[in-house]
Amino acid sequence: MEKKGSVLMLRYEVGKLLGQGTFAKVYHARNLISGDSVAVKVIDKDRIIKVGGMTDQIKREISAMRLLSHPNIVHLHEVMATKSKIYFVMEHVKGGELFNQVSTGKLREGVARKYFQQLVRAVHYCHTLGVCHRDLKPENLLLDEHGNLKVSDFGLSALSDSKRQDGLLHTTCGTPAYVAPEVMSRNGYDGFKADVWSCGVILFVLLAGYLPFRDSNLIDLYKKIGKAEFKFPNWFAPGARRLLKRILDPNPNTRISTEKIMQSSWFRKGLEEEKDNADAETDDTEPMLLKDCDKAKKQCINLNAFEIISLSTGFDLSGLFEKGEEKEEMRFTSNREASEITEKLVEIGRELKMKVSKKEEGWRVKMEGRKEGAGVEAEVFEIAPSFHMVVMKKNGGDTAEYKRLMKESIRPALMDIVLAWH
Amino acid sequence: MLAFVKRFSLKRTKHPRGYEDPQVLASETPFTVNEIEALHNLFKKLSTSIINDGLIHKEEFLLALFRNSSMQNLFADRVFYMFDRKRNGVIEFGEFVRSLSIFHPHTPEHEKSSFMFKLYDLDGTGFIQRHELKKMVGALLSETDLGLSEECIEAIVEQTMVEVDTNKDGKIDEEEWKELVAKNPSILKNMTLPYLKEVTLAFPSFVLDSEVDD
Repeated sequence: MEKKGSVLMLRYEVGKLLGQGTFAKVYHARNLISGDSVAVKVIDKDRIIKVGGMTDQIKREISAMRLLSHPNIVHLHEVMATKSKIYFVMEHVKGGELFNQVSTGKLREGVARKYFQQLVRAVHYCHTLGVCHRDLKPENLLLDEHGNLKVSDFGLSALSDSKRQDGLLHTTCGTPAYVAPEVMSRNGYDGFKADVWSCGVILFVLLAGYLPFRDSNLIDLYKKIGKAEFKFPNWFAPGARRLLKRILDPNPNTRISTEKIMQSSWFRKGLEEEKDNADAETDDTEPMLLKDCDKAKKQCINLNAFEIISLSTGFDLSGLFEKGEEKEEMRFTSNREASEITEKLVEIGRELKMKVSKKEEGWRVKMEGRKEGAGVEAEVFEIAPSFHMVVMKKNGGDTAEYKRLMKESIRPALMDIVLAWH
Repeated sequence: MLAFVKRFSLKRTKHPRGYEDPQVLASETPFTVNEIEALHNLFKKLSTSIINDGLIHKEEFLLALFRNSSMQNLFADRVFYMFDRKRNGVIEFGEFVRSLSIFHPHTPEHEKSSFMFKLYDLDGTGFIQRHELKKMVGALLSETDLGLSEECIEAIVEQTMVEVDTNKDGKIDEEEWKELVAKNPSILKNMTLPYLKEVTLAFPSFVLDSEVDD
């Protein structure tokens, strides 16, 4: 079925084989409607269903994957299945594996740091959503055509090659080089802490050009990992050494968290400048903003009857697919003046340290998140004089982050001016 | 062993009233067979929430939309009516899939536009009449707790009729409707559900029991 030139589900034309693991094959494919390139990972059901408890885990993990949307994570578009196979249709990442870069030797500190920052942000993001990887290793770290890191197979640990043989973790080549000590020693380990360890091994390899734990004898290798016995090459900077010491801590309970890694001075180097630039930008927009506020008397968009009707929640079928509080678009009515509503939104955005701007035409407020934070866009519609409907929706950034922002910060702050949420 | 196989295959082919072959539905809609299998999972959830008979009753539909099975809402009533193509008071699986397919991001705009026109044509006369428009605006405003006066609703309706009813016959025909939609495509916004592209991820159980041949 997945031979070159064949068509999957009347939707994807299968192209060349991109890669092959012990249990999975990855093909290039093209969406026949949009023309988009995708990667399709094919797995035999026999292989996974034989392992007890795996079927529920697969369902859970696919649902969790749906929530993940991050620039440094390979996006899962859809899953497909026949009687004997499961197909994962994913974003096609064109730049190959990150570790092809290391095979020619170590990376410069600045370059290694950039990849590490992207890796840790991706891992941190998934962890905040309750998803861990459990199998971070070279094959799962890809580069896109712009040289940005993309982590693949996040949340799909049930399908990782390493887990299927005996329920224990091994990498495909049989070495546990990237695996945390507690993973080898007992069941029921904390996948989040184990991911942090793997990030440390990956950082070491990027900076050194070789693995921190090496031994031709597997038993001795286990011992070295168990005690976190490794040596820094002399070119490692003090900041990198300090950080790696805290990541490659054999005790998962005292091991550093992703949050603390992101606060460390070595990780943050180079980021401070970016932040200053972002601040400068905001300062530029402020005079324009004030000027805009002066024009507050301008009329806002007056809705016609059909636009008013279309605001009915009874006509919003997204409720069939998600729970109300999880909707991406939220609406509220208010009997305040449009200028008062937009000013309130600007004020809230500023308090949340977001970059706020108002659009010239209409009554639109844009609140942009810093870095990878989610943004919110609000538009005020007039239904009748001093009766307004405000539509708020996500404006870039990640969906889960947006929902949290709305629920925890923006909705409570709007309380005074809202008649009702819809 | 043979008995087991027999019972097993019987169980597989026993489907509730209104069930249709995913292959057939896939050939008529933008969905793949797998997406229809995933939608069947959603359908099973919706159609058994109150009455376990594999059909979506009005109360079950309202429960899914509003978390309240006795919610009064004109638009939800109209959507239910449009989904119930056979007009027998329940939504069968085939009706569910065919109707949802109109909400698919890849479905041409004219199909969405035509569905919406029929939805707003409350009396089924082939026109959206002034009193229908007024009833709908009133329904929405009471839904949003905006206590607007009768005159205010009248003014909104009048303004829209002036704008849309270009031949001044007091009702909106399908041509006038198409012109309005062309000028103002955001009116069709409710007719597209991006979630329909993610149904296989939202309802992944089918990966284990898909009946698609290799």
